[in-house]
Amino acid sequence: MIAAIGVACLVEILIAGLLLVRVGLGPTVCDRIVALNTLSTQVTLAVLLFAAFADRSIYLDVAIWLASFSYLATIVWSRYLERGLL
Amino acid sequence: MIALLALGLAVSLSGAVGILRMPDVYLRIQCSSKTVTLGAMPVLLALVVAKGPVTSYGGRALIVAALLLVMNPVATHALARAAYSVGIPMWPGAVVDQAAATASGAEPPPGDAGSGRAAATGGAGADGTTEDRGR
Repeated sequence: MIAAIGVACLVEILIAGLLLVRVGLGPTVCDRIVALNTLSTQVTLAVLLFAAFADRSIYLDVAIWLASFSYLATIVWSRYLERGLL
Repeated sequence: MIALLALGLAVSLSGAVGILRMPDVYLRIQCSSKTVTLGAMPVLLALVVAKGPVTSYGGRALIVAALLLVMNPVATHALARAAYSVGIPMWPGAVVDQAAATASGAEPPPGDAGSGRAAATGGAGADGTTEDRGR
């Protein structure tokens, strides 16, 4: 079971690498924001899985922080794109 | 638990490949929301099943699941609305644009009442000053 969780963590890191390619070569800003939004979710899952794999419950707070505040970036960026600096 | 983990990882991987390969912002947004809903939830449920719902791992996985379920539609909708109002072109193979009639008309109704300045900047943005912001 621990091995399965470790493998899942590695697959999530692979997925994050795939999404970083889209962050790098997205033609518009919105492509990059979409990829970053998904990337934050996958990194949250990777941190949770790594906390379960390494049996360190202190890492769970990192995952909760990421899940709480990563969407703020998307909302702020979309508000800026829509209305400007206000 | 292994089945839930495999399902979530398979959907997440296909969503990542979709974000890489889709030709358009809006299609990529669709792949992103599918990834969160059907890709992250089974992984979190697998963690809850593996560790138990009242342990620190399972409980925080449930908290993260609730946060993702609430916040992701909000963020995705705001991002799609911003992408459309900035004027990012659709894929040429798209067949219908149902928001074109309302977007080309008067001002889009602002969500907060009585903010004339927001409406003014939105009107200035509709003329094309926001075009270079999306690039």
